[in-house]
Amino acid sequence: MLSALRISKDYGASCVLRDVSVDFRPGEVVAIVGENGAGKSTLLKVLAAIVARTRGEATLDDRVYAPRSQREAERAGVALVFQELNVNPAVSVAENVMLGHLGDYRRFGLLDWKRLRADAQTMLDRIGADFAATDDVGGLDLGQIKTIEVARALATGPRFIFFDESTAFLNRSEAQRLMGVIRELRIQGIGVAFVSHHLQEVFEIADRLVVLKDGSLVGTYPADGMTEDRLYELMVGREMAGGLFPPKAGEITGAPILKIDGMMTATGTGPIDLEIRHGEIVGIGGLKGSGGEAILGAVGGSVRLSAGTMMWRGARYSPASPQDAWRAGIGSLPGDRTGEGVITDFSVLENVTLAARPSWALALSDGARMKTLAGEQVRSLGIRTEGLDTPVGSLSGGNMQKVVLGKCLATSPELLLLNNPTRGVDVGAKSEIYRVIRSLARKGMAVLMVTEDLPELLGLSDRVLVTRKGSISKAFDSAANLDEEEVVKWMM
Amino acid sequence: MDDVVASAQKQRRSRHPFRSVDRLRQWFPLALLLVLCLAFGTLSDRFLTVNNGLIILQQSAVLLVAALAMTFVIISGSIDLSVGSMVALSALTAAALAGSMGIWAILPAIAVGLLCGAVNGALFAYGKIPSFIVTLGTLVIFRGIVLLYTRGAPVSITDRDFLGLYTGRTAGIPNTVLLALAATVLAAVILNHTVFGREVRAIGGGERVALLSGINVNRVKFGIFLLCGGLCGLAGLLQSARTMAATAQLAQGLELDVIAAVVVGGTPLTGGVGRIRGTVLGVLIIAILSNGMNMTGVDPYLQNIVKGLVLIAAVFLTIDRSKILIIK
Repeated sequence: MLSALRISKDYGASCVLRDVSVDFRPGEVVAIVGENGAGKSTLLKVLAAIVARTRGEATLDDRVYAPRSQREAERAGVALVFQELNVNPAVSVAENVMLGHLGDYRRFGLLDWKRLRADAQTMLDRIGADFAATDDVGGLDLGQIKTIEVARALATGPRFIFFDESTAFLNRSEAQRLMGVIRELRIQGIGVAFVSHHLQEVFEIADRLVVLKDGSLVGTYPADGMTEDRLYELMVGREMAGGLFPPKAGEITGAPILKIDGMMTATGTGPIDLEIRHGEIVGIGGLKGSGGEAILGAVGGSVRLSAGTMMWRGARYSPASPQDAWRAGIGSLPGDRTGEGVITDFSVLENVTLAARPSWALALSDGARMKTLAGEQVRSLGIRTEGLDTPVGSLSGGNMQKVVLGKCLATSPELLLLNNPTRGVDVGAKSEIYRVIRSLARKGMAVLMVTEDLPELLGLSDRVLVTRKGSISKAFDSAANLDEEEVVKWMM
Repeated sequence: MDDVVASAQKQRRSRHPFRSVDRLRQWFPLALLLVLCLAFGTLSDRFLTVNNGLIILQQSAVLLVAALAMTFVIISGSIDLSVGSMVALSALTAAALAGSMGIWAILPAIAVGLLCGAVNGALFAYGKIPSFIVTLGTLVIFRGIVLLYTRGAPVSITDRDFLGLYTGRTAGIPNTVLLALAATVLAAVILNHTVFGREVRAIGGGERVALLSGINVNRVKFGIFLLCGGLCGLAGLLQSARTMAATAQLAQGLELDVIAAVVVGGTPLTGGVGRIRGTVLGVLIIAILSNGMNMTGVDPYLQNIVKGLVLIAAVFLTIDRSKILIIK
């Protein structure tokens, strides 16, 4: 058994983890839940010795457990799988799996490939991987790449494996595969702890729930008998009035603001026909790569059309670049927060005003106007930041996402394109984002959203489209009373 | 709102005492400059004089103007290796035309700089060739044009109006220094107070983010190299007036001093951040180091080694390496 006893972690004068005591047992799956900034990742990283604890103790089987480096933790039997993907695409699966142990495979000073591949394959087999150690990393999907990382953790001979938000970047089927891997680990008697914002996953697989809030332990609960509502309450510290999603719009009539006819994209998606009206939130569901992102890209100006037409406010619309889309009044929130959404070195102010610029490049940038614009967004979205000058890189994921949304809204778009608007965002920030989007839709903004989060697709959208293999397989005229099974059926 | 921000900032200062180290770091180039001045000042009584100060400024004008140009390029995450060759080519233009055009040779010299910059910018932004490769090529080509025209013989300048650019003074201050100062102010305004400047930094900080946020990335990249070429045109002008001639070897290797000055000033090669103020300090550090070593009689064969050591030490202390995971 691995026990954390009154562990604390300070960064400067701020305390991100306060006197947390938790036990982890072999063969048990523990979910660590809480809002962004609750200290979930920090707890796991402290135990895996990625970050040093400030105070507190830990024991492993009643012996003092105080590793000074990730290596030492792994030797003691505690391994961590990171949130980000850490696989080198330039080398083989086998080398990636055995990355930390390549030194053990020397033979006459050279690498013993045969033994390396065999051992890597053993690790992959243990977790039921559907690819081989000799495969090319380039051909694998994100779920399979995550599996490599699990195999790598397994190669250290661990008794406990921790997962830090490992499903955040995976789509539904990839996440399902990872859940299967975790079940496999449990059967083999390995203790698992994972951080996740997907409560569905949590209820599906966890034996026990550890709830953190603002760095402190709220409590440890058996998963049996816990309800989603009760868990929200524990995490947020208050009841979610009226649920996660704001009420939907009634019937929406009027001429379409955007009309897509027989569109084919250069990336091979289509044909697509689609209409969207003022005040309407249209959600697109589907497996990753099935066409939703290509539709957003085409409307947002980053993906070329090869056939078909788009009409924007009654006129022919063919954007040659994202710039054309922004100028037309179409804002887009990309799917990759740090790679596409914000510049992490830049301040909140600079990021929020990044898209809302005067068009003449030599115009002296208007400091007062930028401050007002940024201040408005910070206030209306409830961005928790120390100041407008704070670098965005120091904010939590949820607040960073609100900055991306603020950047879009600062341009007062008539159509907002959303690509997985709440990926990796905690439940509190989620509900705030939903409320802001809905209230702007009520004022007439149209929203086209692509999401892999089914509850979000059904809960936020007024209409739902499902894509499959590049075209729309089903259009539901109303998202009210839809159930997940019905929607998923059209994805496969 | 302002109250909230102000109180949060106050809180931040009190809550993170370790940030004061970061704050100190940005003052390092200035501190280094003062230390150098004090050291040379005590070693030589001719160093800390108004006259020598003006000489240092005059000597560093070419480097400063070229370094201003390079600051934009480096902040945007690119590099321009052809600055020395652009300076030489525009110096040659000025020298060849000063006889017939006099002071008005300024215009064709800057035009040649702009043209060189446009070539670099077009190949980089629209031809999608990495700036390192493009400017490595044009470094050789622009220098080759100078060689072809001069055939190795210097082109001298005798027009007194033109030479007055370097030797003349206005209100007691050398014209060169005034021109360099004007270029510095202009560069600082463009970088910090225009949309173009912000777009330059945005491209360096995250090119894909900039593109998806509606910034015309190609046009800005082209603009950066055009600006760089124009400023190098000005630098070439000053250089030709200073040497009273254009030679085939003029400003050879200048790009290395220029990059060193920008980096010593605290602008990292990774892009996204950087200041004109830092570049000015970096240029002065390099100029004072050369001038001071000559004044104090440091063995000329030892000077390059000292310069190199100072460069490495300066970057070691200026850049916060704890935040950088991967060093390339």
